[in-house]
Amino acid sequence: MNDNTERNLALSHMWVAFIAFILACFMGEYQVLERSGFIEALDSPAMYFASVSTHGVLMAYVLTTFFIMGFGYYTASTSLKVPIWNKQLAWGGFWLALLGVILAAIPLLSGLASVLYTFYPPVQADTMFYVGATLLIVGSWVWCGIMIVMFLQWKEANPGETVPLAMFATTMNAMLWLWTSAGVALESLFLLLPWAFGWVDTIDVGLARTLFAWTLHPIVYFWLIPAYTAYYVFVPKHAGSYLFSEEAARAAFIVLVVFSLPIGFHHLYMDPEQASGWKMLHGVGTFVVAIPTFMTGFTVIAALEIAGRLRGGKGLFGWIGSLPWTNTMVLSIILSLLMLIFGGFGGIVNASYAMNAMIHNTAWVPGHFHLIFAGTTVIMYFSIAYYLWPILTKKPIYSNNLALVQLWTWFIGMSIMTTPWHVLGLLGQPRRISSVVYNNLMTLSWEPYELLMIMGGLVLLGSACLFIYLLVKTQFGSTTEVFEGEVEYAETYHPVKDLPDYLNDIKIWNKVIAVLMLVSFGIPILQFFFLDTYDSSAWGY
Amino acid sequence: MNQLNEEERKKIIESSPVGTWVLMLSVGISMVIGWLFLYYGVFLPRGIIN
Repeated sequence: MNDNTERNLALSHMWVAFIAFILACFMGEYQVLERSGFIEALDSPAMYFASVSTHGVLMAYVLTTFFIMGFGYYTASTSLKVPIWNKQLAWGGFWLALLGVILAAIPLLSGLASVLYTFYPPVQADTMFYVGATLLIVGSWVWCGIMIVMFLQWKEANPGETVPLAMFATTMNAMLWLWTSAGVALESLFLLLPWAFGWVDTIDVGLARTLFAWTLHPIVYFWLIPAYTAYYVFVPKHAGSYLFSEEAARAAFIVLVVFSLPIGFHHLYMDPEQASGWKMLHGVGTFVVAIPTFMTGFTVIAALEIAGRLRGGKGLFGWIGSLPWTNTMVLSIILSLLMLIFGGFGGIVNASYAMNAMIHNTAWVPGHFHLIFAGTTVIMYFSIAYYLWPILTKKPIYSNNLALVQLWTWFIGMSIMTTPWHVLGLLGQPRRISSVVYNNLMTLSWEPYELLMIMGGLVLLGSACLFIYLLVKTQFGSTTEVFEGEVEYAETYHPVKDLPDYLNDIKIWNKVIAVLMLVSFGIPILQFFFLDTYDSSAWGY
Repeated sequence: MNQLNEEERKKIIESSPVGTWVLMLSVGISMVIGWLFLYYGVFLPRGIIN
């Protein structure tokens, strides 16, 4: 199959993602320096909040959305062994999303959209920011549509066949993103845009935060699913093993998608607009998401154990040392899982209704989400890029050793940066502040931790630069060597036959999600239309 | 790379991943202990919110 368009689509999306990533890394290091107060010349709250807003938008929306789209297009094409459906539409989605990024970047960089990546009202950004963000989302919906159409077309053309796991996961993620982004889309369309355009004078902050909570948690799983996809479909093959259980993998994706949606109120534990009963319901749901995470951990570690034992590893843990640690995919999953353990633990603390009060809006929270997102998730984006770049560019990776150094330094830098961040949270340092220097004993005691964070940030910045250098050297280097490899997906030892329909289709789960969302968000949203907003809600107080 | 015959490979692939079970159990138990420590050792001693 001539896959030039698919390769160009994937490369174009991923380059936008990684350019956003490297810019955001420089901003991140500036922010930790500015916040520490060690360099007086850097002190500028206005510059800080413009930077931190841009950093958040570039990392959380641009890096992720473009990477997921590019990876998704190539996964769909290679796992189903068909060309991308409607390539013009796919390119249209790309340009629309890119236009959205450019429109949002202008007010962000000029300090007119310093609203952080959560853009909670009543903090208001320039209209162009909301328009740009909306276009980015609409562009990503094009990708969702194409993934779902390809999934359904393939099923129709291959009745009774098992959809390849990589495509099943990608389509589940597309469905998840449509559901996830609906919350913020409703917030933009009916609240933020009319307010920003001046068509209305006021905005219902409680309703806006509720709609954003709809998006805020499952979006993390939208980012995470490509990493989990690599865990399941790439890692076993690279380690020299087999997928441990296809059924467990599909069940994990399903539970992850279904239960990541109706649980967003753990972000609103301290908010007054929702009653404690609803928060409790969402809080319990949050713990359910730990189940697919453990299932994933078990399934992929079991595949690694088999690989290690096939390579001669003996004893209870002897297989760990026998793994091919010089394979970037294998190394990255080990480091990713390590960060997932600590990041996951932080998440359990966040989700604990009572204990959340201890760390709410403290430095613990950015420490946690950097460990889960920039650690667990992004390190897998790196290894996916290292795997795909030679295939997409037809050139061998510039240096596997440097890639290994890059992965290790990312892990080390992230550990150095996020550990003191968590500690600072427990010591009471607030988040979303541009300066931590108040000249009293408590804030002076924060300084060693700030210094550690700066060092960690520097290691991360160096690692990020090395990553981009490796991609550039691979793609644009002077080598004449041609790389002939193709994407290979892991399979189970015994091929899977006759999967039940609920493990091979998305329709039933779509209905389950609709019911769960109605239960968990129906009344909490409707209350804003039936109750006076200055009054308490009817249930829970 | 260790040289295994097909019988040995099959035995490894089809055997229970004991190391994984122990690892997962250790992680789960560590998380429970960590949570209990934070709840009873850090959170509750701080007292009520003033």
